[in-house]
Amino acid sequence: MVKHANPYEYSVNQVPPPGHLFFLSFQHVLILFVSLAFPILFASQLNETTEFAASLVAFSMIAAGFGSIIQALKLPYVGSGYLCPNVVGPSYFSLSMSAAWTGGIPLVRGLIIIAGLVEMVLAPIIEKLKKLFPTYIVGLVMAMIGISIIKPAISSFFGLAFRDDATKSIDLVVGLFSLFVMVFANVWGKGFIKMYCLLIGMLAGWILALLINPEYRYAFAAVKEYPIFALPVIGPQFRGIKFDFGMILTVIIVAIIGSLKSFGNLLVAQKISEPELTEPNFIPIRNGLMADGISTVLAGLLGGMAVDTSSSNIGVAGVTKAVSRWICVGAGVIFLMLAFFPKFLTILTMIPKPVLGGSMTFAGSFMICSGLEEMFSETWNPRKTFVVGIALFFGLSTGFLPSLYARVPGFIQTLFTDPLSTTTIIAIALNLIINLDVMLGNLRKKGISKN
Amino acid sequence: MGLLSQRRIFPILAIFLIIFIAGCEKKYEELDLSMYQYRDTKNLVKFVYDASLILKKDGLKSLNYFRNNRARYRTPEYYLYIYDMNGINLFHAGMEYLEGQNLWDITDKNGKKPLQMIIEALANPNNPHAWVHFSWFEPGKFYPVPKSSCHFKVKTPEGAEIFVGGGMDYPHEEREFIRIIVDDAAQLIAQKGWAALADISNPVSKYNYRDVRVFAFRPNGELLISPVIMDTAFTQINLLDCVDEVKHKPFVKALNELESQDRVWEVFIEKNRYKKEPIKKSLYIHKTSINGNAIYLAAITDLPEPPY
Repeated sequence: MVKHANPYEYSVNQVPPPGHLFFLSFQHVLILFVSLAFPILFASQLNETTEFAASLVAFSMIAAGFGSIIQALKLPYVGSGYLCPNVVGPSYFSLSMSAAWTGGIPLVRGLIIIAGLVEMVLAPIIEKLKKLFPTYIVGLVMAMIGISIIKPAISSFFGLAFRDDATKSIDLVVGLFSLFVMVFANVWGKGFIKMYCLLIGMLAGWILALLINPEYRYAFAAVKEYPIFALPVIGPQFRGIKFDFGMILTVIIVAIIGSLKSFGNLLVAQKISEPELTEPNFIPIRNGLMADGISTVLAGLLGGMAVDTSSSNIGVAGVTKAVSRWICVGAGVIFLMLAFFPKFLTILTMIPKPVLGGSMTFAGSFMICSGLEEMFSETWNPRKTFVVGIALFFGLSTGFLPSLYARVPGFIQTLFTDPLSTTTIIAIALNLIINLDVMLGNLRKKGISKN
Repeated sequence: MGLLSQRRIFPILAIFLIIFIAGCEKKYEELDLSMYQYRDTKNLVKFVYDASLILKKDGLKSLNYFRNNRARYRTPEYYLYIYDMNGINLFHAGMEYLEGQNLWDITDKNGKKPLQMIIEALANPNNPHAWVHFSWFEPGKFYPVPKSSCHFKVKTPEGAEIFVGGGMDYPHEEREFIRIIVDDAAQLIAQKGWAALADISNPVSKYNYRDVRVFAFRPNGELLISPVIMDTAFTQINLLDCVDEVKHKPFVKALNELESQDRVWEVFIEKNRYKKEPIKKSLYIHKTSINGNAIYLAAITDLPEPPY
């Protein structure tokens, strides 16, 4: 294998050879599949038909695939140019459900369009926030993105389909095996083995699951019912777009939180792709948010579920050291095309949940440690201790004590939503408050020097 | 080097283990579990079904096997019991002292008679795994727990008719549970007409368990059996006007769909004070008629929530 001068197998602007490009993109596509559980669950909770579910999945995949492509292509004002693909966003799941009950899919489409527009409006503002994000807060956000994967990763690891349901030892075996293969391939493997550690681990876990759990084998019987090629059906549910002004405020809040998560993901993608930067470059991040907003609007126009940037894929890029943006383009193209090939799509949706859980744990571990490394890379002081400590206390408490936050006054509920956004907001605010004397001192010095 | 040298024995053992584990699931191929959403429920049905296969094969002499392997049939999740069709306990994995006793008239704290309900459920083709819901207690404990149990009737090689069952404490609310009681209520209406309404609304009947209640209403939304209290006169609601947390009218939507079919599942959203996210509930409605007058029977249950 060719040795590169940089620490990467493939750096951000490097185009991998076609074979590698395909397999590296495919490796990312496998991780993206975890999010398809959301449109499937959405359709089942609405008691909709299989045809509706298939169309919803297809439209969501087209939007996510398109979003991944424009995110990485780096067009003028649109796209960060980093490996930061789109998934079907869990951030908007509950909101979409409420909208579907109130006004059906036309209202879901309307709200998703508004959410995308909110993100597009926020994009240029983000650029002005440079001062709010010193290195240690960027590191904290990175670590929190990894922490935010814990819930989906571990519930998938144990093969859980519904909250509070039973776990199965066989699933744990599959998840652990898959995770260990990935770790072994990454730590002790070289060249291809290291670069494809995730793909190897996922395939190994899938094969083991097929061997030891007949449920996964039986599931394959369904594949023959699906055609090789099919266009999504625009059923009566997908016709029309509606808006409900009573829900606008909720949409805006959810969209801001979603944007904050994408902002964090883009920061991490930048850190992984361009570690030589001493402070965040907000122009690609602004363009990245714009791309995310556009793909969310597209999801609404098409009738799919809202899309979101994927934390797990950024982690995978970091672990494999293959951060080429062309891999993101490739993953987007494959994801988009699979929407039209139901047979292959069905096969890939059968990846056992514990295998997906293993891969998210693998990627999340990298994110958490990179964040901590970044956070402690600069000189530490008591001010930083309290900014980070207090932000973590309250941020993580939203995950540990959800029932407590269900009973606090409304304005606190709005602020204390989930660990990532709560920690970020509190850290930014505390950083400003605790360093107020320093800022005032700086201003005074500037005033004296002017005089 | 011998065939079973140390280096080869582990892969061979691994292959045998895989074949063994894979083979364990084969016996469930004839057991339809597709109506259940939760793994817990499926595991319980498999657990009881396994025991029924042993009884079917080895007959009454297998009771000794169950008694000698009591610990195997009492897990932290559930335990097994076997009765004859007259209510005499033949085996109880959790409460050994019940063996030999007749529990036909035993009554739970709400006035339900579990044994009599089980015998009725076993004869009901609409309830393929003979589910019953009642209040019980855990072995050695002193407080009531809600319980849902499934059962299989077995004819032993000796010709004896017995049943085997197992129950889940604090069970998940399966959609199948309300389908069974609503469809049963429709069947009762077909048999008894207006007189069936008194049976359906009786709080100790199978049509009422935990917070689930079969209720009935006319096409204009007027209540015949209230979903919430015994006396419809005090309910003061018209179901067609009812809205959920997001102003959706589940009954109006359901009745539109019932113009072209006789059963429908509808979903609506409600608040739970202990959760930030709203919760989803499922409504099952069955259209039937009495003397040419259309009426609707329905029940409400929780929907499973995503794992995160």
